[in-house]
Amino acid sequence: MEFNGTLFAQYLILGVTNGALIALIALGYTLVYGIVELINFAHGEVFMMGAFLSLSAVSAFGLVSGAGWAQIALVSLVAMLAAMLFSGALNWSIDRVVYRRLRSAPRLAPLIAAIGISFILQGIGIYWKGSTTILPPNLIPTDIRSVNILTDWLGLETRIRFRALDLAVILLTVPLLIALSWLVYRTRTGKAMRAVAQDRGAAALMGIDVNRTIATAFLVGGILAGAAGFIVAYYTNTARFQMGFRYGLFAFTAAVLGGIGNLNGAVLGGLIIGLVWSMSDGFLQTYIPWWGAQWTPLIIFGVLVLVMVFKPTGLLGEAVPEKV
Amino acid sequence: MNIRFEHLLGQLERGAIDRRTFIVRAIALGVTGSAVASALSRVGRASAQDESAASIGNPEIPHVEGTEKGVIKIYSSWPSTGSMEGIGVDALEAARLAFADFGNMAGGFAIEYVPLDSGIAANNGGWDPGVESANANQAIADPDAMVYMGTYNSGAAKISIPIMNEAGMAMISFANTYTGLTKEFPGNEAGEPEQYYPTGERNYSRVIAADDIQGALGAQWAVETKGVESAYILDDQSLYGHGVAQVFNDTLLEMGVEVLGFEGYDPRAPDYQALMTKIADAGPDLVYVGATVENNPSKVLLDMRSLMPADEVVFLGPDGLFTQAFIDGAGEAAEGAFLTFAGLPPGELAGPGADFNARMTEILGHTPDAYSTYSYDSAVAVIQAIDQVGEKDRAKILDALMATKDFTSLVGKTWSFTETGDIDNPSMSVNEIVPNDEGELTITFVEAIGS
Amino acid sequence: MANLARVRSAGGSSQPAYAATPRSRRDIVIFVAILIFLLAFPFIDQSLGLRLMGALLPIGIYALLAMGLNIVVGYAGLLDLGYAAFFAIGAYTVGFLTSPGSVFVQAGWIPPFFQQFWPALVIAFVVAAIFGVFLGAPTLRLRGDYLAIVTLGFGEIVPNFFLNAVPLTGGTRGINPIAKPPTLGPFDFGQTAQRNWYWLILAIGLFSIFIILRLYDSRLGRSWQAVREDELAAASMGINLTRTKLWAFALGASFSGFAGSLFSSAFQYVHPSQFEFTLSILILSAVILGGIGNVFGAVIGAVLIGSFDRILAERLTGPLNAFGEQIGSDWLASHNVGEDRYVVFGLALVLMMLLRPGGLFPSKQRSAELQPDAEDISVQEQQDLFDVRQHDDEVSDVRGGQVA
Repeated sequence: MEFNGTLFAQYLILGVTNGALIALIALGYTLVYGIVELINFAHGEVFMMGAFLSLSAVSAFGLVSGAGWAQIALVSLVAMLAAMLFSGALNWSIDRVVYRRLRSAPRLAPLIAAIGISFILQGIGIYWKGSTTILPPNLIPTDIRSVNILTDWLGLETRIRFRALDLAVILLTVPLLIALSWLVYRTRTGKAMRAVAQDRGAAALMGIDVNRTIATAFLVGGILAGAAGFIVAYYTNTARFQMGFRYGLFAFTAAVLGGIGNLNGAVLGGLIIGLVWSMSDGFLQTYIPWWGAQWTPLIIFGVLVLVMVFKPTGLLGEAVPEKV
Repeated sequence: MNIRFEHLLGQLERGAIDRRTFIVRAIALGVTGSAVASALSRVGRASAQDESAASIGNPEIPHVEGTEKGVIKIYSSWPSTGSMEGIGVDALEAARLAFADFGNMAGGFAIEYVPLDSGIAANNGGWDPGVESANANQAIADPDAMVYMGTYNSGAAKISIPIMNEAGMAMISFANTYTGLTKEFPGNEAGEPEQYYPTGERNYSRVIAADDIQGALGAQWAVETKGVESAYILDDQSLYGHGVAQVFNDTLLEMGVEVLGFEGYDPRAPDYQALMTKIADAGPDLVYVGATVENNPSKVLLDMRSLMPADEVVFLGPDGLFTQAFIDGAGEAAEGAFLTFAGLPPGELAGPGADFNARMTEILGHTPDAYSTYSYDSAVAVIQAIDQVGEKDRAKILDALMATKDFTSLVGKTWSFTETGDIDNPSMSVNEIVPNDEGELTITFVEAIGS
Repeated sequence: MANLARVRSAGGSSQPAYAATPRSRRDIVIFVAILIFLLAFPFIDQSLGLRLMGALLPIGIYALLAMGLNIVVGYAGLLDLGYAAFFAIGAYTVGFLTSPGSVFVQAGWIPPFFQQFWPALVIAFVVAAIFGVFLGAPTLRLRGDYLAIVTLGFGEIVPNFFLNAVPLTGGTRGINPIAKPPTLGPFDFGQTAQRNWYWLILAIGLFSIFIILRLYDSRLGRSWQAVREDELAAASMGINLTRTKLWAFALGASFSGFAGSLFSSAFQYVHPSQFEFTLSILILSAVILGGIGNVFGAVIGAVLIGSFDRILAERLTGPLNAFGEQIGSDWLASHNVGEDRYVVFGLALVLMMLLRPGGLFPSKQRSAELQPDAEDISVQEQQDLFDVRQHDDEVSDVRGGQVA
């Protein structure tokens, strides 16, 4: 088979967009793990709850069809902020009510509790929006969804599709990543987080309020998950109570791949998983005729196992040896 | 409600149209079931139930009333919670309605209906082999149990058919379409169907056409009516979805149509854009998706339509997608999608079918799932078998049920069971999702296909 | 907290508390009474019309799985989140060996002897152990969380592979029929012989409990405890860390494979969807609920979780709806308890962790710990149960972060 550049570029675009979303969720796993060494299984469900809230927020606005760009942007912004606040508060409360009480318990305890919370949130998801796939309330009209920047705006002659929607995902995601990086590396709170991650006891001795710092990590992770919830719901135009499970596992894989506990690693891991996903769904078949989309989960979890076996610190793990 | 509905109601009150016409038209207008029901109750009730009961099944078999001979229990087993609630509960209520229409008696026995759930929460309400096996064993262990209705999933039937077979109890399904359960077919596994009948006697029948019919007729329609020359086939990796897609694939190949790809998709994946990019690049005339509604087909359609508009590429799906939930999940993207279905959509049914639809709508508060008509049919077949035998004897009831003939179904077709337990006159239709007069997308009958 | 306990207990004797506890006559009487009750249960079930036999078979299989996972998690302190994968491997091995539809049987590769149930069961046991070693060998040298992650990934890969390797496994069709155990005197093991299957699983369960208890008291079992408590100390006492852990992991895996082969034969059906992540979590929860490190606790946990999932939720709906109709609550009248399973199950886990982390039936060592006089190593043992992080902290201190 001949290499098809157009198609390859298309898979790259899709991979990067999905990868950016995975990275947003992966950051939540990695932030919490970096500080309290807990695999927060409920994180995927916090993301799902954020998505659900953003749908309710949009319905509450009752956006009329034929709304202009400005109105769509405003409602999107408000819905996204609402989802971020909600997921952040949810994640924070889970820590406050459950994990904090288990801080000194055996290590398995908070992990089991996290699995329990993940189940509870899925149950609440069913009560809230039912158990079938739902279409989010109308926000972005179809003609705007399908605007292709390359042909419609730039007037290029190409079959590559880079939609305004794809751009919007990246425009929303990148500032969040930058903001997080600023928070962790440039503020006092961030410094406290890094200190607690390195040595909780020593940090406490230095006068850092450990519980508050950990709570901040949960809050920030939840906020990112909420943002991802809104973006995913409207990017994929679908939502379901189980959406947190698969995205959560992919994001978790991304965090591990990048080096769990490492922020840059989570972003890198997210992009790689996004690319592996789109290449396996689409591109690989060009070279391996019997390959199909059904093998995608297998290859992603295969990546997870292989990384753990051969390079357990992840790709960027060395950058933060003190985390492990 | 709206002006057109008020007008219709006026016609009904003046006697310009009868109740049945009113129900059919009201539902065509997209009026909710409860509104129709309350309108009807205002105008006054007629004895619609009796009409329905009398005209379904084989009219030559007299209904034997009375309960002096004792109690016969009819068990049923299919999932009815979680993601399966929409289909399962509707089917269960339909069976219950059928028994009620016959006064909950047959052959001089009181009929007690015992619906069992084969789903577990861990599967999001989907069936579980342990539960199905337990349900089947519960039924055979009950000396009053004479017939086992079910299953919904063909995989579950693989477990319970042999259990029923060893116990000599009749089993009748309203929804199993996997070919290997009853008949020889090139796509079968080695040993099918004989391996499900250890005693060598057939005890299983189904009132719905198997995948070989649906897949093949769907493929013929696509080629002959839509002029499809190349196709891409996807399935949800379930027994049903893969089976029907396989037949579709084989029929297309026989007809000389190019199949550009045939693969499964991951039902849990949140996004199929890369997959659809690949398919769009292959450039098929038609995309076929063998799936049931709980396996994310709405999202598959959404992503397909973002790259392949309805006027360029035909979407065709089997009856597993024939439900409102499929449209609800896909929104505008569902417009122009074609679905094959073994029968007519509930809104198109006339006579007893329309009456059934209205009564179910009243019971459920929403239009019944398309499978529920088959559930009703299968319950009537059971009643008539017991009416004929008039004894509490599993073997005799089994023989009578397997010998069901000239049975008029709710969708208006008359069929008999073949010796494999399949219906000999399957009905099949092609339907399209188009906006109704209200502008709401609904499944609309296009044409009947096949015999 | 844990560190304080460690200091406090450092001077205690090294004699495990349970070994000192005399097995009283009362214990034996209770044991025999329970045994008689269990053996007679099918008749009780029948005479009371409870119809619990069908639900008890999967619950029995859960109990077997919980015992096996308890070796891995409870005894050796290794967190396995993909336990269902070995269950799948066992079930599929028996399917491949004995089903007339299997490609291996059709290719004539399987000698008739191995197409029988019991020999196939032994093969499944061995194959699952091999996969356990295969997966465990490269990962067991890593820290505890990493093992959890690898097993999680493995648990996702295995059912996915069985689903997609259609030429080998039949994919979504699954494999059936599967060989049944040969008839033993009056006991046949068809699909309708639920009672016989119940006794068979009960017998196998009792035998397994016996083996596991013996194992725990063996040299290997003591090594597990030592490794769980303090890897460094254990290693310096001459215990081969990797080999000790590998034994636990492989034995746990083979147990799961063994349960998988029983399961496949009892239900005559093998399908990839039966082996998903939720099953691994269900079994883990059973072990947690019942009491980590206590084989009886694990069994009771499996029975409790299984009963809720398979009996209670089904049977509560009817009475609840009737009650709802009586008090005029539409919500209660139409509510399906099955829908609450997610929330109830999750709440149970969270509340257990918050209120009774040792499980409902903590191991004897833990009971001993609760008594202030029992000043022995078990106090520390229990405090540190699964506290992999602490051990790793110590290990990495010494090794200078070499593990990272």
